[in-house]
Amino acid sequence: MPSLDIPFFGTLVLSLTLISASYTMAVAIGAGRGRPHLLPSARLGTYATCALVVVAVCVLAYAFQVHDFRIRYVARYSDRSMPWWYLIASLWGGQDGSLLWWAFLLCGYTFFATRWLRGRYTELQPWILATLMSILIFFVVLMLFAANPFATYIRTTPGDGEGLNPLLQNYWMAIHPPSLYMGFVGWSVPFAILIAALITGRLGNEWVRAARLWSMIAWTFLSLGLLLGCLWSYEELGWGGYWAWDPVENASFMPWLVGTAYLHSVLIQERRSMMKVWNVFLLALTFFLTIFGTFLTRSGLIASVHSFARSDIGQYFVWYMAFLIIGIAALIIWRLPKLKADNEIESLVSREFAFLLNNWVLLGMMVFVLIATTFPLLSQWVRGEEVTVGPGFYNKWMAPLGIVLLFLAGLGPLVAWRKATGSKLARAMAFPIGAGVVVAVLQILFGARLGYPPVVEPTEIYDTTTGTVLAWMAAVAPVVSFATCAFVLASVGQEFWRGMRVRMRRGEGAGTSIFRLVAKGRRRYGGYIVHVGIVFMFIGFTGAAYDVEQEKALRPGETMAIGEHTLRYDQPRMETDPNKRMIYTDMTLLDPSGTEKGQVAPAKFIYRTHPQMPTTEVAIRSRPSEDVYVIMSTVDPSTRRGTFRIIIRPLVAWIWLGGIVLLLGAIIGMWPTGRELVRNEVARSRPRRFKFSPAGAIVALAIALATVMAWAGVASAQDDTSSSLHAGTVVINNPIERQLFGRLLCQCGDCARLPLDTCACGWADDKRAEVREQLAAGVEPSQIQESYRVQYGAKALAIPSDKGLDRALWAVPVATMVLAIGFVVMLGRRWQRRGAEAHAAASGRTNAELEYDERLDEELDRLEDS
Amino acid sequence: MGDFLPWLFILVAVAAMLGGLASLWLSLTLTLSGEATGAARAEITTDARLALLTEKEALLNEIREIAFEHDAGKLSDVDYEELNAKLRAEARHVLHELDAGAEGFREQAEALIAQKLGKAE
Repeated sequence: MPSLDIPFFGTLVLSLTLISASYTMAVAIGAGRGRPHLLPSARLGTYATCALVVVAVCVLAYAFQVHDFRIRYVARYSDRSMPWWYLIASLWGGQDGSLLWWAFLLCGYTFFATRWLRGRYTELQPWILATLMSILIFFVVLMLFAANPFATYIRTTPGDGEGLNPLLQNYWMAIHPPSLYMGFVGWSVPFAILIAALITGRLGNEWVRAARLWSMIAWTFLSLGLLLGCLWSYEELGWGGYWAWDPVENASFMPWLVGTAYLHSVLIQERRSMMKVWNVFLLALTFFLTIFGTFLTRSGLIASVHSFARSDIGQYFVWYMAFLIIGIAALIIWRLPKLKADNEIESLVSREFAFLLNNWVLLGMMVFVLIATTFPLLSQWVRGEEVTVGPGFYNKWMAPLGIVLLFLAGLGPLVAWRKATGSKLARAMAFPIGAGVVVAVLQILFGARLGYPPVVEPTEIYDTTTGTVLAWMAAVAPVVSFATCAFVLASVGQEFWRGMRVRMRRGEGAGTSIFRLVAKGRRRYGGYIVHVGIVFMFIGFTGAAYDVEQEKALRPGETMAIGEHTLRYDQPRMETDPNKRMIYTDMTLLDPSGTEKGQVAPAKFIYRTHPQMPTTEVAIRSRPSEDVYVIMSTVDPSTRRGTFRIIIRPLVAWIWLGGIVLLLGAIIGMWPTGRELVRNEVARSRPRRFKFSPAGAIVALAIALATVMAWAGVASAQDDTSSSLHAGTVVINNPIERQLFGRLLCQCGDCARLPLDTCACGWADDKRAEVREQLAAGVEPSQIQESYRVQYGAKALAIPSDKGLDRALWAVPVATMVLAIGFVVMLGRRWQRRGAEAHAAASGRTNAELEYDERLDEELDRLEDS
Repeated sequence: MGDFLPWLFILVAVAAMLGGLASLWLSLTLTLSGEATGAARAEITTDARLALLTEKEALLNEIREIAFEHDAGKLSDVDYEELNAKLRAEARHVLHELDAGAEGFREQAEALIAQKLGKAE
């Protein structure tokens, strides 16, 4: 291998990148400020900067492959025994490298955006490039001054590296973080377009159209990243769930919520030239939340299973976020006169108002998640008391909001733009509402017999009226959710049928009509398909209400029964490879008659470099109706006795199916039309030998990447990781115990985030026995909870209490939502009045331009045929 | 693969470095020369026209959309007539602007041709 001072060279390349990006930004600003001849220089500078980041990534990748342990980052995240693919994944396995990876992805987007911008939006272009360069400068400064991936050891170089954390040594590291980063970084391009529009004052629909494709790509990757995150959590972390409301999960979910609100709200601007300030705010907030999410992950301020080590890069983020807030606010205030709406809402029963309600719910959910995620930090700052906000809080509050959002996904397509008449709306809603009612009645009549009862046992998170109300909402959630799912499916189905009927009236066959319907209205029908995907995912989420769980210790040959299944523990066996020892426990799944249905083999992997961190490899047998999820907690090599935790999770597979449908809909929605591509070529002044279309290439690349990542994620069946080292058995005798244990967190020190109704360690077992004795002695659950809080502190409770400052946790988001809906309705009514006046004053069309009308008809005919 | 990868990374790094430095050099040359290339000039002058074409495209799509919604029974006759008239008025305006712009282009092109012919003679 060539001898080269790699650490020095890497740092040099990063420094060159900073110089190049600064120069490009300066030239781009010059081009934007009246020197358009500088634009080609700025474009070339952008390409040069992107190339330099590629060099930096290649240098670090090379250092990993040749085990250059002079570099601290290489030594900390790799060792000589690791195969080449994990050495590549190590690039983004730690803080410093993942920042470089972030810059690399940003450069990928910047490169394609610059290609795409050629011949387009020349007024906006310089400012788009300048903004993208400014974002890149922030990340390069961060690397050069706070987290240099090429930093070396001051003294001796280690002979071998520490190795990548075993939790990260799986295929998920190759697909989950990159797809999530693609989603995060992707919002930089629409944000840059927005900033360019604000600076130039071109705030019509031009920037919205320019940002459309890029926001769709970013949203698709963010959705994919979240979905793969769920899969990773479900199959890798080995705790049995797919979403734990961990701060880092929340950090990815918040920009998704606001980005989704933007994608809906922007349709109102495109259609009616309204809500311009709101759309600017939503897009800016989405980008801001991607930076805020990164700050949460990187600063280590909030404890999380994902977070990197606590470091001082947090202060850089704080300054950058302050700069963003001040800069964006100043730009919006400056441009307020140009952001005035051209139209007003004319009726509260209109598509526009339905979208406003959709935005209200999505933003309400975001406020809930934001406050709950940062509440431990706020509590620490305000009153010096650490608290924990566990999944129970989120699940109880987010489920009703989610169902309202789902309902709006079905309602929106049924309501006409501008103004829906009562009779038309009633006709449009009759079938979907009928479908919802039928499903609800069927579930009430037969659900319990089929294993899906309409109402489940209520569990309270608070001993107050709020707790009772929430518990009952959660209890009836299954029947409401399934009925709403049916409503949305029927609504979407009806939309397809109506569209087909219109085309069939023009003489098309059923097959042709559905194909052309989707082909001609990709965005609309792609969106409807996304809604179908969301429905499937809700079916899966609802299934969680029927989870059954059991833990038991078995000797070879012994069986345990759970639900309709019986599992027989056959034998333990050990395999080895150069990197680890693998201890499997072979088990056989039996049906009630004793016939073998299949084999599962949960395992423990013990890595050479991290023997103290054995990982748990779960085994999952997945069916559309339910998953059988098997975790081997321990196995004793001398007695061969194993402890197993089995969870029956109904309908989980629907979540992954819904994810695939959602991605399919998103791809259809952003697929460019042939006409768009051809027109872009025609618009160019220079003749071209090859008809390369950047738009087509970008979409094709995005689709290819999304498909590969989705396939890699879904194709994998089981496997890998967690450090669950517990051996007890969770026994819960009655609903009171379940409710109370769910509120108390284990304090053994090894599993502080697990509540007593889940944790199977010895400490938790002893504590459960103690609590059981207190209950038997007649002590009230609330008293037991209070004494637990006094003994271990407020952080030992899974959910903060419903009194004092703790009540702000739900009261602030609820108050915000109530105020917001009041404001939305008031605004809607005001707009409605003004819209009606404008409507009365509007004059009809002029007849002086009939010639143009003919030309328009010709153009419309061509559009229909294209 | 493990042996081949380091060389692949070196190769990509060298190619990217050469490409990056060449782009930077070209960019600096252009910046310092202070002149717009023909392609850049063309990009700037076609931008206004492109914006109008994009606007026309969007309006045509919208006219088509509301016709579809009307056919599907989701827009009343009165609302459809009114929206259609409004959108068509906007589209006519855009077509008018495009025509006016084309006049300017034609004059510019004729002047350039005359200039070239004059030089040739």
